[in-house]
Amino acid sequence: MIELFPLTMLGALLGLDVVSFPQAMISRPIVSATLAGALAGAPGRGVIAGAVLELFALETLPFGASRYPEWGSAGVVGGAIFALHPDGTTGALAVAVLASLLTAVVSGWSMIQHRRAIGRWAAGMRDALASGEQGAVATLQLRGMTMDLLRGGLVTFGALALFVPLSRVVLSVWSLAPAPSRAVVVALAGATALGAVWKIVHATAGARWYLLGGFLLGLSLLGIT
Amino acid sequence: MSAPRQLPFGIRFATLLRLLAVQGAWNYETLMGNGIAFAMEPGLRLLPGGTDGAPFRAAMARHASYFNAHPYLAGLAVGALLRAELDGEDVTRIERFRTACCGPLGSVGDRLVWAGWLPACSLVALGVFSAGAAPLTVVLTFVVLYNLGHLGLRLWGLEAGYRNGLRVANSLGNPLFRKGPAAVARVAALTAGVVWPLAVRGVVGPARSWLVFVLAAAAAGAFVVTRLQGRVEGWRVAIAGLAGLILYSVVR
Amino acid sequence: MAVDLFRIDDRLIHGQVVVGWGQPLDLAFFVLVDDAVAASDWEQELYRMGVPPEMELHVRSVEQAAADLAGFQARPDHGMLLTADIGTMRRLADLAPIPRVHVGGIHHRVGRNPKLRYVFLTEDEEIALRALAAKGIEVTAQDVPSAASLSLDTLLASTGDG
Repeated sequence: MIELFPLTMLGALLGLDVVSFPQAMISRPIVSATLAGALAGAPGRGVIAGAVLELFALETLPFGASRYPEWGSAGVVGGAIFALHPDGTTGALAVAVLASLLTAVVSGWSMIQHRRAIGRWAAGMRDALASGEQGAVATLQLRGMTMDLLRGGLVTFGALALFVPLSRVVLSVWSLAPAPSRAVVVALAGATALGAVWKIVHATAGARWYLLGGFLLGLSLLGIT
Repeated sequence: MSAPRQLPFGIRFATLLRLLAVQGAWNYETLMGNGIAFAMEPGLRLLPGGTDGAPFRAAMARHASYFNAHPYLAGLAVGALLRAELDGEDVTRIERFRTACCGPLGSVGDRLVWAGWLPACSLVALGVFSAGAAPLTVVLTFVVLYNLGHLGLRLWGLEAGYRNGLRVANSLGNPLFRKGPAAVARVAALTAGVVWPLAVRGVVGPARSWLVFVLAAAAAGAFVVTRLQGRVEGWRVAIAGLAGLILYSVVR
Repeated sequence: MAVDLFRIDDRLIHGQVVVGWGQPLDLAFFVLVDDAVAASDWEQELYRMGVPPEMELHVRSVEQAAADLAGFQARPDHGMLLTADIGTMRRLADLAPIPRVHVGGIHHRVGRNPKLRYVFLTEDEEIALRALAAKGIEVTAQDVPSAASLSLDTLLASTGDG
């Protein structure tokens, strides 16, 4: 059983954080998936899903006008689905991560529709805005934020309603062994993260040596611990 | 008229709070323009005639038009524009300033925050996760560390913008903005190097015996993504890869 | 060719340009072509602050840019030339060889119609883009490198849904 209402509320609040308010990055998957996992009763599984999704999210630089995945609601979906299945459920991470990535795409699309809707409302208020009416600016601002809250909630609710039962069906007939099931997800996440870091830092003088030095240190820590 | 040396506390607080919502009505026509007017509104009430005066209405209309910047540095523009409006600066100069500061504030903020501070904090949180910390510790590490920078930048921006007015380029000349992005990038690179293999191990779970293979495959994948110079995004490839994996596991 | 990209973007120097294009493509310099900015010290100073210290920013008027373009093209590293509007790019194209232009951002203003999320055009601006293409210049629309590059026909046929 999964508590849809609190997760929907969480998805709504974290969806709002992505762009509208307060952009404190509590919408990053390391936070959103962990909180969702906690709400679903398994914060330890939530943080694992959050870490994998955060590796993907390293690639996402939220430039204002460009199209990008929305991780707030998506992290809630991924964290909740992974937390829903007990430890040792083979394939659960792959299913949770795919559900989260697809939610991020749909949610990113919904952000674009939301921005277009604000544009239409602004066009309808053009005279009031152009004459500097005190209330017009605040009305548009509050309307945009309220609709964004609803948008995040609807996306989270819809994604959970679709992917939770679907994940149960898929995992009931999962046939791959645990190791390859997990290895593919982690390799994809690791590749995305390393590629993203390289793209960000390689142009900075000396940064590639810091990356290499850190990597050697990381590998030695891997051997020690 | 001339602006007060410092905005009253109530107005500063209200402006700062509204700056947290500066993108609340973001749209493809005016981008964050409405949010800029929304944030400036408490300060613009100080104009002669108050909210019923022509200067207030003209300023609100001016600032609700197209504007874009990094949201965390929008306060620098808001502070500078408030100062200019309260000082009674020439309108043409205010409008040219609005146009000219959009890009640089976006560029500096994107480099410092989106391509610097955010991934650096994210990597630190992944490092804390890899070290086996409790979920709450991982979350708090990220949220507290990130928001020290985030809120600090917003607060500084508003103060510095109001202090310098249209001479705000001086503020952007601050070493934090000139050398900060490179320094943060180096820290992020070092952290990424250390954390990446540990984070991969932290999530590899039942594939622990495959760790070397997973790391090698991930490194090879990263090489391919970077060679494609931004034309391919890893997360999109992952959707196809995971869909294929799930389909294979279900139908075989 | 050293100047790989000729971009029309009313924001000129901003995050998409410096980080979105500059980092993955290893851009070493930007040439900002704008008569008004070339004549204004304080505006140049602002734009300079938007460019990281390891990248160069050269501000030129249209005439200066046309004269200096061959020198920029002979450089061993990579750069981007930017204008804020179609008219400036068209004037430059009248004076110097430009192989291709991409529209990266022309935002809403009264009289402009939506084409893409990041492109709004008046009828005169549509004609100006056609005129650029008629000179043999490849005209496309693309905001960030990972987005699809759209042909001029696709851009002009769009109605704001892209």
